[in-house]
Amino acid sequence: MTSDAKVIPLIAKPLTGEQAAAMAQHAIKKHHVAIMLLHWFNATVWLLQLATGAALIRSPYFRVVPYWYIRTVRGMFGTKANMLRFHITLGVVWIAVFAVYGIFGYRTYLVRQVLQREIRLDRDDLLWLKTRVLNLLKRASHSLPPQGIYNAGQKLFALSVYTMIPIVMITGVVMSFRLISTTAVQWAMVLHFVAVGFVVSGLMIHVYMGAVFPEEKPAFFSMITGMVNELYAYRHHFKWWREVKMQEEAWEEKLGYAAKRPIPAVAAVAIETEQPPEVAISQSIGTHKASLGYRIFRAPTYWPPYVAGAGLGFTLLATFLLIGQGLGASGAFARSVGALVAWIAPSYAAHSASWSIYAASGQSPLINFVVFEMLGVLAGGFVSGWLAGRLKLTTEKGPHISARKRHVLALAGGVLTGLGARLARGCTSGLALSGGAVLSVGGFIFMLAVFGAGFAGAYLTRRYWL
Amino acid sequence: MSAPPLPPSFSLTAYLLVSVILGFFFGFFLERAGFSSARKLTAQFYFKDFAVLKVMFTAIVVAMLGIAYFALLGWLDMSQIFVTPTFIGPQLAGGLLLGAGFIVGGY
Repeated sequence: MTSDAKVIPLIAKPLTGEQAAAMAQHAIKKHHVAIMLLHWFNATVWLLQLATGAALIRSPYFRVVPYWYIRTVRGMFGTKANMLRFHITLGVVWIAVFAVYGIFGYRTYLVRQVLQREIRLDRDDLLWLKTRVLNLLKRASHSLPPQGIYNAGQKLFALSVYTMIPIVMITGVVMSFRLISTTAVQWAMVLHFVAVGFVVSGLMIHVYMGAVFPEEKPAFFSMITGMVNELYAYRHHFKWWREVKMQEEAWEEKLGYAAKRPIPAVAAVAIETEQPPEVAISQSIGTHKASLGYRIFRAPTYWPPYVAGAGLGFTLLATFLLIGQGLGASGAFARSVGALVAWIAPSYAAHSASWSIYAASGQSPLINFVVFEMLGVLAGGFVSGWLAGRLKLTTEKGPHISARKRHVLALAGGVLTGLGARLARGCTSGLALSGGAVLSVGGFIFMLAVFGAGFAGAYLTRRYWL
Repeated sequence: MSAPPLPPSFSLTAYLLVSVILGFFFGFFLERAGFSSARKLTAQFYFKDFAVLKVMFTAIVVAMLGIAYFALLGWLDMSQIFVTPTFIGPQLAGGLLLGAGFIVGGY
């Protein structure tokens, strides 16, 4: 930034190319991680509730989807009662999460986030709406007035959502638990349907703007990374940009002039490109190392995920064709322990409910696909790491915890993982990956639970990894 | 995990050898994707690196389509394929436990 740009402008002026380029590089924080988590949780719930809710409505007056869809979705749950139970349970979880945010984060989320930033329309917002409509109708082509962190269109959507969500929640509870009176339940059905309809009509625009509309791409990514580039903020949310700049300036004054800008800019860009410095060096030296074979097998970079994923997929397919089941991992450990138990205490193992299944065929539990496959996994992983020069003895940990603590946590995590895998009868390989490929419902439920718990709890374990 | 009977055309040695070879490729591709790194695996939960989801769903879709096409062309008897049985409660609870173990332990 040039020195004259130090004075924070009152109105958005046209930028020089140099200024715009510098601002495009500089990221500023837009969303807190708690807000992003809530957003995606809410999005997932809406998706699942709309999918199951639509299949619950059979009445010809209200039905919104074709019968084949209703049959398919009900088929996935087995019975209508199961699907209804799922819909109600998820709804209760949804209400509980919002309640937690509303109660424990009353000031932060309800007052500051929702009331002050998301739904309060000021004079600029009203002018924005008027100009936007006139421009759309081709009655005028005025430039839009400056906007805060959310523009007036977004605020209108938020307003409708925040009005309708309590209605959806209350009517849902009334219907589910048949509260008050039959008449109330009947009214609740209609209101539930209408309120959801309102949200869905806004949701269509919301999803279109976020996922498709090219100018709003930064807004979409800000919901994943929490950051937007300064240029986007300047052009689309000028008043918010100004607010951020004033805060930055206040901080700079507080800290003295020396401790200036670079910190947030670097922190924002350092996403995604976590590569060891050797990579950059090896890429810059000698052409003799640039042969295709070298780049595929010997280069210290990982393969692109879609390439490695396809390789994994073909291996999985071959396993189904040759062996008749998918790939696994935890089974090998369970069988090893089974063999150990049978060796030490044969009569106990033969009569124990959990260990006898492995010895049922009279053969050692170790003479099995998954056990020998696991031996191959060790070899394959070793060879791959060796070719790429990744073999080394080290404790992999986040920068802020000690190796000793990491070891203890690894053991604790391993205990949880092992328990989970045995309870579910499979791990991420045997159940999520292999089960997913043959469309096992349990596989997908397990997968959702794993990632659900991971994303939900990640905030608590951030100190271990970040 | 109840293993299906050995494919009748395989001797036991061939079956175990094929198991090791399939495992070799499994391990190889997992390492190639970066799944040997706990930091890379957990980075997804902080929205920094979605390699895990990308690799996993690519693999699922590839294998799924492969199985569907093989069955369609009559080269594969779908009834011989082991589909992991569904136990909603235990699998939900097990998944939550495993997910918690994942972010604590890293794998």
